[in-house]
Amino acid sequence: MIAEQDLLDRYAKGTLAASEAAALEARMQQDKEFKERVEKHLALVKALKFYGERSAVLKTLDEAHREIEMPVKTLPLDTPTGWKRYWMTAVAASVALISILGTLFMTRSLDTKQTAIYKELGRKVEQIRKSQKLMMEDMAEVKEKPNPRPESFAGTGFLISSGGYVATSYHVIRESDSVIIENAKFGALKASVIFSDPANDVSILKIEKRPDEMAQPLPFTLSKVEASLAEDVYTLGYPREDIVFGEGSVSALTGFKQNPNAYQVSVPVNPGNSGGPLLNTRGDLVGVISGLQTETLGAAFAIKSTVLVDVINQVSVDSASLPLVLPKQNAFKNSSRVQQVKRWQDFVFVVKVYKN
Amino acid sequence: MYKTNLTHYVAYYFDELIVSEIRKKNEGALRELYKTHYPMIVNLVCTNSGSEQEAKDIYQEAIMAFYDRAQQADFILTCKIKTYLYAVCRRLWLKRLHAKKRFHGSIEETESFLGVDQEVASAEEKEKQFDSMEDALNKLGEPCRSIIEDFYIHDLSMETIREKFGYTNADNAKNQKYKCLQRLKKLFFDGYKEIE
Repeated sequence: MIAEQDLLDRYAKGTLAASEAAALEARMQQDKEFKERVEKHLALVKALKFYGERSAVLKTLDEAHREIEMPVKTLPLDTPTGWKRYWMTAVAASVALISILGTLFMTRSLDTKQTAIYKELGRKVEQIRKSQKLMMEDMAEVKEKPNPRPESFAGTGFLISSGGYVATSYHVIRESDSVIIENAKFGALKASVIFSDPANDVSILKIEKRPDEMAQPLPFTLSKVEASLAEDVYTLGYPREDIVFGEGSVSALTGFKQNPNAYQVSVPVNPGNSGGPLLNTRGDLVGVISGLQTETLGAAFAIKSTVLVDVINQVSVDSASLPLVLPKQNAFKNSSRVQQVKRWQDFVFVVKVYKN
Repeated sequence: MYKTNLTHYVAYYFDELIVSEIRKKNEGALRELYKTHYPMIVNLVCTNSGSEQEAKDIYQEAIMAFYDRAQQADFILTCKIKTYLYAVCRRLWLKRLHAKKRFHGSIEETESFLGVDQEVASAEEKEKQFDSMEDALNKLGEPCRSIIEDFYIHDLSMETIREKFGYTNADNAKNQKYKCLQRLKKLFFDGYKEIE
């Protein structure tokens, strides 16, 4: 069998002599088993050859792959000896030192910058504080102005007679040279003071040239009875260029320092409201706004209409001029407040006072 | 225009040169070919849920297929080597993904490269043959493996083998080789059948 394998090896390698090969092939024709053995042997040898070639190629490919990956040749670092080692340590130490010092320096410089900003800010805050203080002082001054007798060049007045008579506060027209009254409907009208009651802070003005539209009877009356406590009241006035409505109720039946001729009312009033009418829900006049108490919040005072009527009765009217006839009938007692105000605003004037 | 033409021709001549050198079994040419197109396949595999190791495996398989194809006497280069390698690798990778149940599409529908089916099939057949022989040789153990390899693959004479392995006479060596081959025959054909 060894001899047969040897023969087959030589046959596979093609080193067999021509006569021997012919004999072998002839035997293969006759002996099926032998033929099978030969073929198996040849297949095995072929497979081995194939394997050999292929593994050689694969080896080449693996080499190429290693070249791609390019293993970085890491050169072994010589461990520094002697002074070299200390020199490197020194370098490392100085680098560390420089970075620490650098960081410290930078942070400190940052610190100073921040302090500078803070100082500036502080000054600003100081300035703001100063200006705030100034503003507070200004406001305090303003607050002191609306005392019970505000010295204002402008106030409010209202018509009390279709004859062209207007009631206002005495302190509004005090020491006046000329008085001009003005509102949206009648425009600016010159008026003259015909009567003043400084004690009750009431003055009566007369429009010098009454417009004809004013001739019709007034729709409200001047209440001859005192208002009740907690009664709803409202006012119209000119604390600024436009007419302003304000409402509240009767807080007390006496005025400043238990003045029996005035009410305390919780109606928001400002300088300029002085001389304005205080009206009840029917639209009747119950008082004349005169001032407010600075220390108490929401405490305004109004002269009672009964006092006003008394004052009017004292007025001696020149017989040549139009009579001072008080309105007798309330024409809008059942109207809503909005409707009342719509009518009433025509009879309320801003009183402009010109002084020397 | 001139430049593109030049590169085109350079690429064309490169391919021609590679094929002719590979046919001469020039290892250097094979290495160059391997290095030239490897990044493309790494990109293909790694961007399609594969690893670099898997890329290496299928790339080597494709290069082997091309190498085998180039050895055939009737081989003609009908497309760029790059195209061939890409198509084969793509097909191989899709098959691997399919086996891993990570690709559910139909492989046949995704392939437009004519003949790649046959290429892959023959490459796989050869791979299988190679693997079974490697398996058999591994099982054979030493010194049989070396004797067989030396005699049948490296074509060493029995006298050289006798000296190398220290047999006292030629008959002992022949006897050893006979036993080894008989065992390999059994291992190889049995294993091959198992695979089939």
